[in-house]
Amino acid sequence: MYKKLFLSIIFSLGTVGAFAVDVPISGNVQSRCIITTDTPGVYGNPNAYTLTTATADGGVLPVVRYDVTLADAYYAEITTPTAFSDSPSLSDTVTWTGSTEVQSLSDATGMGSYETNKVTFGQTTQYDLTASGSTWFKSTSTATYGGSKAFPGGTYTANIEAICVAK
Amino acid sequence: MKKLTLLFILLFMKTALAHDMVPTYPELRLSYMSNVLVADLELLNKRNDIEYYEISVFDETWNPVPFVTSYKIIKLEYLERIKFNVYIRSSDKNRATYICSKSRTRGNPNPSAVISSMICSKFKKDE
Repeated sequence: MYKKLFLSIIFSLGTVGAFAVDVPISGNVQSRCIITTDTPGVYGNPNAYTLTTATADGGVLPVVRYDVTLADAYYAEITTPTAFSDSPSLSDTVTWTGSTEVQSLSDATGMGSYETNKVTFGQTTQYDLTASGSTWFKSTSTATYGGSKAFPGGTYTANIEAICVAK
Repeated sequence: MKKLTLLFILLFMKTALAHDMVPTYPELRLSYMSNVLVADLELLNKRNDIEYYEISVFDETWNPVPFVTSYKIIKLEYLERIKFNVYIRSSDKNRATYICSKSRTRGNPNPSAVISSMICSKFKKDE
């Protein structure tokens, strides 16, 4: 009597347990390009008429990471600033210089040619992202005020544009 | 031990600041209006320094192409994801090539080089 009751309880518990095991997890994988701001840049002020992101001059180099999940499907284009987006009123011209280079790669073999194959036009550098994975790019930007005049006091902001374009 | 705990906290506090838009190759399909096509896209804001994204459509040589969407500038909170539609005239179907989302930056209290990000998907063309 007790044995039958015990077995029926065990079986019923087992049956209840069986209902709880199937938990579906669904997902959707798509090819994509993600732009990540790894390090926002900061301008150093080594002298009165220069603002630069160069580390030696007290600046911080901006670093952008591109993650691509599909090989040979995107171009990365990084443009260093040619104007301030926010600054005090400036009466003289500002001369801009800038450059971009690969800082590190997630796949040294597949991405090894990125730096040698880059195309530069003006302040823009274009990379052909021929392999999937992550690439870190660092940029330098320098603004020099006309005639070695001192920059007026205030806050200065300039935009580095990081673009990912589907091929 | 305290130093190790602090190191872990600092490591995990470093947030990724990413901009993500899918699909890479959106398809233009018929909309509920005649002579108007629509594409479906999704935008994810993982940049805590950005709240607004601007949508644009361009042709092969980066000239603007007319389009309609709910909001040309989309407000997107940190870690918020939004699905949106872009409507294009059927006559512009072969002209429209890129659809881009660009982060809109605001003034910053420190002298800084702000990184603005732009992701451009390419419309699928009929073979």
